Amino acid sequence: MITKSELSDVNGKVMAENQVTNGEPPTAEEVLAYTRGELTPEEEACIRERLIAYPELVRTLTTPFPEPAEPGHPDYLSDHEFARHWKALQKRRQRSNGSLQFWRAFGAIAASLAVVFGGLLWRAEIELKKPQAVWEQQELYSDSRRGIEGEPNKLTPNGESYLLVPGLGSDLGADKLRVDILDMAVNPPRTVWSSNAISRTSNGSLVIVLRRDSLKPGAYKLVVYGITGARQDELSTFTLRVPAR
Amino acid sequence: MTNDDRFQSLYRKYYKRMVRFYVLSFRVTEEDAEELTQDAFFRFLEAMDEYRGDAEWAYLETIARNVAYNRIRSQKTAKRGAETVDIHDRNAIAEPAAPAEPDYAQREEAALRSKQLRDAIAELPAGSRECMQLWLNEFTYDEIAKFLKISVDAVKSRLRDAKKVLRARLGDANALPEVEE
Repeated sequence: MITKSELSDVNGKVMAENQVTNGEPPTAEEVLAYTRGELTPEEEACIRERLIAYPELVRTLTTPFPEPAEPGHPDYLSDHEFARHWKALQKRRQRSNGSLQFWRAFGAIAASLAVVFGGLLWRAEIELKKPQAVWEQQELYSDSRRGIEGEPNKLTPNGESYLLVPGLGSDLGADKLRVDILDMAVNPPRTVWSSNAISRTSNGSLVIVLRRDSLKPGAYKLVVYGITGARQDELSTFTLRVPAR
Repeated sequence: MTNDDRFQSLYRKYYKRMVRFYVLSFRVTEEDAEELTQDAFFRFLEAMDEYRGDAEWAYLETIARNVAYNRIRSQKTAKRGAETVDIHDRNAIAEPAAPAEPDYAQREEAALRSKQLRDAIAELPAGSRECMQLWLNEFTYDEIAKFLKISVDAVKSRLRDAKKVLRARLGDANALPEVEE
């Protein structure tokens, strides 16, 4: 004859297997939702099945909760006992508040840093979104036009490149032109840029595009040569000054 | 009545009984039970300001059950990991003496019977199976009814049905005496 204990043994094995197949028991929040009837019938069935595999957990929900003890009963805490417990609780509360205050302060600092870095990021993005001048045209006047005492051509530091337009006469009497830019800070002056493939505008001016970082702050001389066959003549010179940015 | 007064009243009425509740229901030590009770009351105290209902004892009960649930659940989930054994501990790794082995025919018969019982339990309708499984774990009708959110009569009826099905399925008319009314 089949007995309850025999069936219990088999059921114990079935439940142990269910613990493995059903995964971890439901969380306290899921169980609370179950007991409050906040789940759909399908969800309830699922929670029930997972819980039944853990009878000890079901017991936490079903064991009758004790009735309160009335004053005078031995289970009712005396003034003295309560005072001792209350003191311990207050201490625990203070510790908890201290820890809470620490995390609040930590949170406030983290929030402030987030605001500061957010602001910096926002500013950087705004700067990046601003229209950037790729270059700015710089009309250059030759040393002969400015006179010996005249101010050198000062290159403005805007844009990523210089667009230099040295003014030249329309008839230069040369087949080709070459331009050198010399760094005057060293002796003898050193050529830092040179080209013989230079574009000219309709009024005869040259058009030279230079990357900004190719000219460090200092004094330079731009020399234009006219080349005819093997002959090379200096046509014009332009003193330049690159200010510090 | 201030929050502190209300708290004091509940604390004095429930403290000792909650300790006993934890000891008897969840088989924890007296020390653990005191810790759980204090934890429950501490949470209750922290949450009292936000509680808007009148039945504060019911709120305390929910917190107390929740504390017990979390404690047991964390023990269960910890147990799911691999068990560690100190290899230097002779007692820990010593194999118990093997019991006298039943002969092959007896083992076969036991395995077959076990399979029949498992299949029979598995094939019960869900409602009956749940009642049966809780009953086999020594839950009372009241407890089963509370957990399944049905009446005690419904629990008894489902258990009767489950036993009928099992008797028929296993061909054992005398199995599992009827539920005591």
